[in-house]
Amino acid sequence: MSSGKFRQILGFVLLASLAYSNYSCAVVSSKEDFFGSTTPPERNILRYVTGDEPESLDPAISNGQPEARLYMALFEGLVEYDSKTLSPVPALAERWHVNNDSSEFTFHLRTNGRWSNGDPIDANDFVYTFRRNLSKETASRNAYLMAYIKNAQAYNQQQVFVRDPATGEFLLAKDFDESFPPEPLGGSPIDPAKSEYLPDPKDTTPDPDTAFHHQMHTPTRLTLPGDEKSRTKLLNVNTKLKAAVDGKEFVPVKGEDIGVEAADKYTVRISLVQPAPFFLGLLAHQVFRAVPRKAVEAYGNKWALAEHIVSCGPFKVKMWKPYDKLVVERDPMYWDAANVKLDEIYFYPILDNTAVMNMYKVGELDAMYNHAVPNAWLHLMKYKKDYMEGAEAAIEYLIINTTKPPLNNAKVRKAFNLAIDKVAYSEWRKTVKPLTAFTPEGMFAGYEQPKGATFNAAEARKLLGEAGYPVVQNPDGSFSCPTFPDQVEFIYNTQAANKAVAEWFQAQWKQNLGITVGLRNMEWKTFLESKQKLDFNGFSRGSWSADYMDPFTFLSLFYTAGESGTGWQDPKYIKMLDEANRTLDQKERYHLLAKAEEYLIENQPIIPIDSPSVNWMKKPYVKGMYPNPGCLYPWKYVYIERDRAKWDYSTPSLDAE
Amino acid sequence: MLRFIVRRILITIPTILVVISITWVLIKLAPGNFYSGEKQLPPAIEKSIREKYGLDKPWYQQYGKTMWGIIRLDFGTSLRYQGQSVNTIIRRSLPVSAAVGILAYILALIVGVTAGSIAALKQNSKYDYISMAVAMLGISIPNFVLGPILVLIFSLSLYWLPPSRWEGFPSRNLVLPVLTLSAIYMAYIARLTRAGMLEVLRSDYIRTARAKGLSERDVVIRHALRGGLMPVVSYTGPALAFLLTGTVVVERIFALPGLGNYFIQASLNRDEPLIIGIVAFIAMTLLLMNLLVDIAYAYLDPRVRYQ
Repeated sequence: MSSGKFRQILGFVLLASLAYSNYSCAVVSSKEDFFGSTTPPERNILRYVTGDEPESLDPAISNGQPEARLYMALFEGLVEYDSKTLSPVPALAERWHVNNDSSEFTFHLRTNGRWSNGDPIDANDFVYTFRRNLSKETASRNAYLMAYIKNAQAYNQQQVFVRDPATGEFLLAKDFDESFPPEPLGGSPIDPAKSEYLPDPKDTTPDPDTAFHHQMHTPTRLTLPGDEKSRTKLLNVNTKLKAAVDGKEFVPVKGEDIGVEAADKYTVRISLVQPAPFFLGLLAHQVFRAVPRKAVEAYGNKWALAEHIVSCGPFKVKMWKPYDKLVVERDPMYWDAANVKLDEIYFYPILDNTAVMNMYKVGELDAMYNHAVPNAWLHLMKYKKDYMEGAEAAIEYLIINTTKPPLNNAKVRKAFNLAIDKVAYSEWRKTVKPLTAFTPEGMFAGYEQPKGATFNAAEARKLLGEAGYPVVQNPDGSFSCPTFPDQVEFIYNTQAANKAVAEWFQAQWKQNLGITVGLRNMEWKTFLESKQKLDFNGFSRGSWSADYMDPFTFLSLFYTAGESGTGWQDPKYIKMLDEANRTLDQKERYHLLAKAEEYLIENQPIIPIDSPSVNWMKKPYVKGMYPNPGCLYPWKYVYIERDRAKWDYSTPSLDAE
Repeated sequence: MLRFIVRRILITIPTILVVISITWVLIKLAPGNFYSGEKQLPPAIEKSIREKYGLDKPWYQQYGKTMWGIIRLDFGTSLRYQGQSVNTIIRRSLPVSAAVGILAYILALIVGVTAGSIAALKQNSKYDYISMAVAMLGISIPNFVLGPILVLIFSLSLYWLPPSRWEGFPSRNLVLPVLTLSAIYMAYIARLTRAGMLEVLRSDYIRTARAKGLSERDVVIRHALRGGLMPVVSYTGPALAFLLTGTVVVERIFALPGLGNYFIQASLNRDEPLIIGIVAFIAMTLLLMNLLVDIAYAYLDPRVRYQ
């Protein structure tokens, strides 16, 4: 290259880099209170990014949080989340009664509920919704949340009842399963002498009684797998059951059998298979939001496309261009339309966090979804007045495959837990708090969360030695563990941030135990498959956000076989959870749940790491949006404030006003 | 000429079927499913989902169904995006990708050919050095770097242009993505033009033209450019095919609802019909573009025509 040419290029590069550093300096050194533009939109609209492109606007389909926020605009259930606490508040049901052990719920609907096409909403709409979302045809991934409803799981799994053709009697579950818990009040025969409901001074008219109600108040029927192959397999190992079933007929469990009824036009009664004090909070989840029967039956899986959709929330679809924008507008048919403040909401599906931040800065966005602020920007954004941070109902932890040696030994698992300095980890990550148990700390008022072991490297080395892998100190002060098998690995899905986290843990174990854990990254779906099939020996990353505001949403991850991804399942733990949920006294129930959590962390199928914080940004003129622990916003309360004096100049408080 | 075209089209059909078959096999071999997520599904729900989408059928039935669909140009319904047909998705996102892609290519052609020609005509002058240095930069700066720099300057600092999103055609939102996308093509075309022109300018027929006493202008425009642009023409086919069908990085940076974005998401989501549909579409476009290039070649270069 001739020197003249070289000089020219060099000059250009210098110029370009100078320009670049100038501009980045302009961002870095900015002392503004807010990030970028604070000019409110001209019209009463909110422009929001909720994350990736929605899978569907059908609330039964997606289980993601981005979609959950869309469903909250378009559909309403019996109850809705409170903007600050996420506890259930009246929605299409204006009031309700809960029986004394939280196994039966009676909802009184408001009579002015309407679909966006003007049709009235009554109890039958909810009965339809529950049956449809549990059906095989809908194949909803959220159906597991409905399993507390009587016979719901059996219907969802296409099981059969066993009936004696001679007497018409059904076989009962408790006769074949010694560990079957006693029937809740909602499943025991109704005693006319005493009410199972506490008297309600404001509403003394008795709830309507029906034949179906009495039918639900009978012991739980036995259900068996619907397909013959698995049924035969089950019967072959259980001779008592096989003898009892002989000569009986199998009756498929139908949608009509699940414990949801329209007791009258505006009364919905839900019977559960077990006491579930958290069930009311769960009912705000998307899978319980009403879907329009007529539209679903007319258009099948195309009913939720923009041209066919019928909704029942505060907003209805105005325009939907996938991967571009979803525009919803105030629905005049909505029962509370007068109190819906925004005219329209624009939901932009944007994946790239930098693009989100750019749009926010120039004033094309008014708010963004949780964790959209890239890590590298945090040190700047944290001091802006429009940065929102608060406790999140979520945890991050390491999953351990407990089925393969050496990690099938609890002592080894404990050693790996003790060897991680979670306080240092949290300082490094900036937006998380160290976690020693399996529920987010301080999230559930009155819940005394157990304290797990904290960082203790010496104890970790001792435990590892007891497990048969002595750790020796090298002359230079470092440690090594020569006998520890070297196939133990840490798997994660390919992403720069995940790699940094994996390397952080690797370094901790190397430093404190002298063990080098191999890192293996894989593409997201491959990673999920490896986790699901327990096809790794060692650790992987896990995270969970609450489906409802109760510790059980976390503890229940180890309730069903195979769900936790650790291979760990313990009948004692399940029994402890069952016992807690049967306990009527809330304080005592929490106490028992805490005991179960203690037992879980004692067994260490996971390594708790941290509880994250919600962190996102909203312009100061956006009011009625709070950094609640689930990042779910009842949109009807959100509005644009044009009076600067009333703007939010800090993170709005979650305390009741 | 007609026989040539017909024969080329006939060869295209089996090529597309082979491409699709390979894609189909790769999807089936890839671990994971469109429905897998952080939370593991109970087996019964998984079974219902597989039945609902026909994934429980034997492989030859699934394959047959896919192929029959392709033959009728009906790519089926997306698995991930409930109820949306793949044809609709392509129809909706193609114009976005195509608008950005074609504009970028036109810009690249205008700037690239001009700069390349000047560089060739004034070889070893400062014009040559400057344009080739800029071209070098254009080739070596990846668009995931160039895009954010342009956004930083023109949107975040000067507030002149919107930083991202699609607002229809034409709109100011197009400026930055088109600039970003065209840079590398512009640079490449400039270099191709320069190389092509340099070669042609030294050839016998240019010497003949000059000897005939033609003006320099006529020599360059009527003779040199026509021969010198041959490499650019052959480059245009595949380049346009890729530009038309979307460019992942630029669509991601600027949040454009184009085909490239869908393609990547479909692969990550294991959305079989959508992957197959887009692959089939890209394959068809690519083969069509190559055909057009061959025809253009025959038109531009008499030697090809007479062979």
